[in-house]
Amino acid sequence: MSAIVEARGLTVQRGAREVLHGIDLDVAAGEALALVGPNAAGKSTLLRALTGLLRTSGGTVAVGGRPLRSWSRDGLARKLALVTSEDEAVSPLTVRERVAIGRYPYTGPFLPLRPADHAAIAHALAMTGIAALAERRVGTLSAGERQLAAVARGLAQEPQVLLLDEPAAHLDIGHQLALFRVLDEIRATGVAILAVVHDLQRASDWADRLVLVAEGRIAASGPPREVLASPAAAAIFAVRIEEHAVPGRTAPLYSFREGS
Amino acid sequence: MSLSARRRAVFAVLILALTAALAVALTLGSVRLPVAGVVHSLLTAAGIPSSAPALTPAGEIILWTIRFPRVLLAAVLGGGLAVVGAVLQTVFRNPIADAGLLGVSTGAALGAVVAVHLGLTATTFLALPAAAFTGSVLAIAAVYVLAHLARRASLEGLLLTGVAVSALTSAATSTVLVATEEYRVKAILFWLAGGLDGRSWTHLALAAAVILPAALLLTLLARPLDVLSLGDEEAASLGLHVNGARLLLLGLTAAIVGAGTAVAGSVPFVGLVAPHALRPLVGPLSRHLLPAAFLGGALLVVMADLAARTVNPAFDLPLGSLTALVGAPYFLVALRGIEDRG
Repeated sequence: MSAIVEARGLTVQRGAREVLHGIDLDVAAGEALALVGPNAAGKSTLLRALTGLLRTSGGTVAVGGRPLRSWSRDGLARKLALVTSEDEAVSPLTVRERVAIGRYPYTGPFLPLRPADHAAIAHALAMTGIAALAERRVGTLSAGERQLAAVARGLAQEPQVLLLDEPAAHLDIGHQLALFRVLDEIRATGVAILAVVHDLQRASDWADRLVLVAEGRIAASGPPREVLASPAAAAIFAVRIEEHAVPGRTAPLYSFREGS
Repeated sequence: MSLSARRRAVFAVLILALTAALAVALTLGSVRLPVAGVVHSLLTAAGIPSSAPALTPAGEIILWTIRFPRVLLAAVLGGGLAVVGAVLQTVFRNPIADAGLLGVSTGAALGAVVAVHLGLTATTFLALPAAAFTGSVLAIAAVYVLAHLARRASLEGLLLTGVAVSALTSAATSTVLVATEEYRVKAILFWLAGGLDGRSWTHLALAAAVILPAALLLTLLARPLDVLSLGDEEAASLGLHVNGARLLLLGLTAAIVGAGTAVAGSVPFVGLVAPHALRPLVGPLSRHLLPAAFLGGALLVVMADLAARTVNPAFDLPLGSLTALVGAPYFLVALRGIEDRG
């Protein structure tokens, strides 16, 4: 499987301070990748550097085999879609209008929406299960529905990689499960997903691969069980991680205790 | 009724109301012109033979040299200011953003006051509008350059710099005003209060040459404007050149306010009231809101100017004070609505 996104030795500076130090990361087609790590480890910064929103100070990022900087802005937005958890309560747009914004990389400033655009919007609404809410105003939705609308906007970009920054933040358990089910369905269509996830149990259940980020470096990367069993994970979170096999459940359950 | 049907109805009502308001504004004033005579004069000018009774020669002069440019200028000015309000509210994601915010209006005022103080207005035709326009463009340029120098090209940076530049230009205006000879202060006051008294075809041509193309261009830029309204990060991730788009949009709004303020002084609240009233009716998408705001703003200022010159028979009321008299209470009520929803 060839990688869609390849980062090699990626460094990012904020002011005089280097916040990412030499990150190597590959994202393959259809892969589910969870970025985990303590607060301020550099996970969100990494997402923004990979999508070209932040200037990198060293290393390379290739998208589809081409250097990030050789992509046009809209060309890149057709490959990578970033969905952040910015509060969207203020948006007065309807869900359909909000999702239609995701077609901007295709229409540009002046072109009207064409049949292909309407099809992509309808597909995004259907995949996220919010077609029935299409004419509602985003500001009147629940937090979970708003997050699904934001994901639908990303899908409308028809990207090869969907990058999500804490998509489950502020969601109750029902909405979390619905969101990750939708993400699985999206992945089944061949779209890779790279998500910052705080809940380690959720990350291990959902992802093919965990990438543990700490202090601007990748401390461990691999199948969830290996990463969570590594000494690095326990040391970085300063907790004891215990794995419990549950009959009838393929993935283990985890418990966490303070101290290492 | 579906949203698109309601939108069509709103546009139809706005166009009819504006046409009616323009017609009434042409006939009413300190001298009332008979409707039939106005119709005859318009038809004749359009090359269509008319059997309606003609206006008196004096009536013809009033209609064509005084009332017509004034009424059209009111429409162009109101439309332009309302579009500016709608654009700024979208760019700054704030329902109470308006032209005063970025130092554009205060910059225009400073330019005008300096021109009057130096006595340029007495010697040079159009010195005042030229100076006001220069002032507004310099003010917004200062805001942009200062925000960039301080590495604050962000939304908040621009807003804070705008507030600072506004305060600075207002202070400078007061200082120049105090140092100005008394007989010239009256001219400044008249201009600061805002009004369309005695505006000619030349003033109309000047304002329209800037306002109409700029408003049209802003309407054409509706989609980037909507993308920008979702926040800098999302806009950038969708491929929009955020700083460039914002500079272009703000530059166009500055041109409109500069041109409008140059010929009519300060006419406040139009940019707040018109978009605010129309947004629930046509929806927040800029390609609907901007044209609706233009029509609504034009209607508002044509009516306000009509009131300014007919309510008091002794002298014209200042147009800017009238729009504020209507706009401020409306706004206080609307603010309660915003807080209740928030």
